[in-house]
Amino acid sequence: MKLSQDAILGTFFTTVGVVFGLIALNYPFGTAGRMGPGYFPVIVSTLLAVTGIAILMRARLATGEPVRAARWLPLVVVPLAVILFGLLVEKLGMPLAVMMLVVIAATASVKFKLNWMATAGAATFSAVCAIVFVELLGLPIPIIGTWLHAIGHF
Amino acid sequence: MDIFSGLMLGLSTATTLSNFAYCFVGVLLGTAVGVLPGVGPIATISMLLPFTFGLPVDTAMIMLAGIFYGSQYGGSTTAILMNLPGEASSVVTTLDGHEMAKQGKAGRALAAAAIGSFFAGSVGTLFIVIAAPLLASLALTFGPAEYFSLIVLGLITSMVLTSGSLLTAFGMALFGILLGMIGTDINSGAARYTFGSPNLLDGLDFVVVATGIFGLGDVLANLENESNRMAGVARVSSLFPTREDWKRMVMPILRGTGIGVLLGVLPGAGVLLASFSAYALEKKVSRHPEEFGKGAIEGVAAPEAANNAAAQTCFIPMLTLGLPGTATMALMIGALVVQGVQPGPEILSQQPALFWGLIVSMWIGNLMLLFLNLPLVGIWAKLISVPYHFLFPMICVFTTIGVYSISNSVFDVYMMALFGALGYFFKKVGAEPAPLVLALILGPMAEEYLRRALLISQGDASVFFTSPLSLGTLIVAGLLLLSIISPRFRKVREEGLQEVD
Repeated sequence: MKLSQDAILGTFFTTVGVVFGLIALNYPFGTAGRMGPGYFPVIVSTLLAVTGIAILMRARLATGEPVRAARWLPLVVVPLAVILFGLLVEKLGMPLAVMMLVVIAATASVKFKLNWMATAGAATFSAVCAIVFVELLGLPIPIIGTWLHAIGHF
Repeated sequence: MDIFSGLMLGLSTATTLSNFAYCFVGVLLGTAVGVLPGVGPIATISMLLPFTFGLPVDTAMIMLAGIFYGSQYGGSTTAILMNLPGEASSVVTTLDGHEMAKQGKAGRALAAAAIGSFFAGSVGTLFIVIAAPLLASLALTFGPAEYFSLIVLGLITSMVLTSGSLLTAFGMALFGILLGMIGTDINSGAARYTFGSPNLLDGLDFVVVATGIFGLGDVLANLENESNRMAGVARVSSLFPTREDWKRMVMPILRGTGIGVLLGVLPGAGVLLASFSAYALEKKVSRHPEEFGKGAIEGVAAPEAANNAAAQTCFIPMLTLGLPGTATMALMIGALVVQGVQPGPEILSQQPALFWGLIVSMWIGNLMLLFLNLPLVGIWAKLISVPYHFLFPMICVFTTIGVYSISNSVFDVYMMALFGALGYFFKKVGAEPAPLVLALILGPMAEEYLRRALLISQGDASVFFTSPLSLGTLIVAGLLLLSIISPRFRKVREEGLQEVD
């Protein structure tokens, strides 16, 4: 079955609207003159759920544009590389974390090839990043991470 | 403070050696990143944000503004040379600009864009000088009801001007408002939608969301169509417009500037509307309408002028009301808040050096753009031809470091990855993210003003209709909504916006 764009988006909006609305019901609602923290979110989520349903109805009435099949690799690899950077930047330090992010993200491309030129380029880029961001701009990111420090103590 | 002494103060602020130098660096970096295909102004600004962190606030703001119009100008260069618009408002430039480039007139198209932009930028800056203090003093009389209505107008304008269906845009704006609710409620202190995570107590950082959706999300979308992204870069020949060119572009630049200056102030997608309207107007008044789309220089000069004039004047509502008109301005507010400045009517009296320095530096920045870009166009053309598979890992690195450095929080990095995937999802289902991003900033403001307005009136909603200004704003918003339902306007909107995709 081919899902249309509207069917997916409508389901998404309806779900978000219902979930946010249900959560907001737990917050004090208040009155129009003295709004509680729940007042505005309840109204907005209700509107969102209604909009979602309207989009779903439109999807049933008209044949919308179907969603084209996705290339899954970039969608997994690129966010994963970013998350790994977040996990490891304080442990490995800036240059190594940048190197890792560049190499992992690059594998998402159809043109990715592992060769010496590209590796050297990535290494130079990481070093330049470390110099520019940490030394020149003074961002408080360690050059040498906590793990490497620990190794150095042995 | 009168305008003259304000300008003097601004001149002395903007021309200190360091501010001048950072303005230059901002314009240079902004253009360099802005010309990269697939990198729009929002991604550019958020990638370059760390460069402004260690600076004093006026210097940082001057540099950011430089980055902003540098990136805009860079976007036009890519549009002309490569037929790849970096953002919606340079779509119009591709129509005739790239056509000129194909005929070997790339240099003249670039010159027309640069000259038009410079003239429009100067007029736009002058307009800020006159209008901003007036609006700021007017804004001091605004109550919560007026603010609420203005926010509603801004949101509705951004929905109407988004390509795709109005219903989708409405849903995106609502979703944005809900995302803006995450965090501690200012009035009651209740934690909303934080799921017990202390990281969410301060709410989602706007810069993180915008960078995720526009920076990383675009990378993901571009990677999908990677193989058919190959496009040639046009060669740049003579940069000097001929006498004939001059004669043809003077009036379009003047008209484009006028349109841009006025539309830029409108809350909503002012820049986009300005370039589309200017193009449409030129086509209408031209004696050779058949040349449009086939390389008419008027079709480059007018929208570029309008685009840049609007880019200047959209600072007016941002600085004086604290209300961003476009997603890019919302990002500028986010950057200001990182610096500890809350834009609003008080900025003029409390931070006069910042305000006037910024305005003067805008003009200086535009002057720099004119003298920087035409001679350096060869370098920009080289940058454009860097293949995407080398480019995108670097974009990932810069966006990630940019987001991490806002508050040294790895949580923000994870959030950016999440919103990158979400941005890709929105592209897939044909939902434009601009209303969401704008609503993320405007939503909490709307709630706050609604609350205050109804608190004062004790729950009586008629306050929004008894204040003339609020009523007028709501009527304009209503007319906009009605106009989209009318079939005639609808056709115009579809024609105008279809090229955006």
